[in-house]
Amino acid sequence: MRKTDTTGAYAIPNVETRVASRTDELPMDSDAFAGFYQRSAPALRAYLARVSGNPTLADDLMQESYLRFLCASRPEGGEVNYRRYLYRIATNLLRDHWKRPRAACLEDVPEQFLAARDGLSRIDSQAILDPALARMRPRERQLLWLAHAEGYSHREISEITGLSAAGIRLLLFRARRKIARLLRKQIDADRGNT
Amino acid sequence: MTLRTCSYENELTQALKNGHWPEGCGPELRAHVDACGSCGDLVLVTRTFQRARSESEHVALCGSSSLLWWRAQLRRRNAATERVSRPITIAQTFALFVNVFVGIVFVASQYRHGLHWASWWSALAPLRALHSLPIGSGQIDWNLLLLVSGFGVLALLSLVVVYLASEKS
Repeated sequence: MRKTDTTGAYAIPNVETRVASRTDELPMDSDAFAGFYQRSAPALRAYLARVSGNPTLADDLMQESYLRFLCASRPEGGEVNYRRYLYRIATNLLRDHWKRPRAACLEDVPEQFLAARDGLSRIDSQAILDPALARMRPRERQLLWLAHAEGYSHREISEITGLSAAGIRLLLFRARRKIARLLRKQIDADRGNT
Repeated sequence: MTLRTCSYENELTQALKNGHWPEGCGPELRAHVDACGSCGDLVLVTRTFQRARSESEHVALCGSSSLLWWRAQLRRRNAATERVSRPITIAQTFALFVNVFVGIVFVASQYRHGLHWASWWSALAPLRALHSLPIGSGQIDWNLLLLVSGFGVLALLSLVVVYLASEKS
């Protein structure tokens, strides 16, 4: 299901990459980066926090994602491709974090992080989403967030995660059914309490 | 679990993505969503995630973009410096291996002919060296000269390699 190139990095098909002409200069100036950061960082942080279940880790990974984004050869095609590339970096960092033996395993992220430690959880709609997300596996959270919060297509998610589009379709279908059931339960429980 | 695709799914996905649901959609699609479990799930999940995402936009971020930009520039310059110095590191490693190889070959060759360290030492003594000079004797002790120069070159190269290695570290 997973597709990798020989270097182990995930390849983005149909997206040309270019190498910066001078190695000591960043391919984006400070002002352009500031604008891009302001527009993209909140969504990226939300993605990392929701999928990892750890806001502190999300902050660290977000900063590392931007550093790698700036240091790497960025894809051409404007901000849409930049964002997708950034999500790909962040997704790879998440996977690397989960693979580290000293870190918590992918499936063992403490679920209470999702509800307790993020400031977002105080917001009402999050009160419904958080308990449901807490019962999903990290891979499912990742796919659901990319598909439904970010609005990426199966092909784009495939480019970001390195999974095949067919596999994503099936995983997403199952994950959506599962979280919809959990959301309905949560909504019913909330109605019962009020 | 069977994967059943609803014929309205693409249309509904697009409407949700563009924010057209439910006001911008026709009565037929709305009636279908009420009846179709899969499309109902799609609406519920997508709208919940969209709300969560839009609320996350208001969360304050840690770290400034300018700091990140400068850190990236520093990292990129360090990487460039490392790339430039890589051939020097390779040359140093190569020189070290050559030195070790020459040393091993030299010791092995001397061992085969018998190690006469005592005679070497006496040959290295200043008086003996003076005595063996061609000015005095009229003959050149080539073995001694080769031995001394070989040791000298080896020592010099080793010193250079050690110096470069320590400078690098």
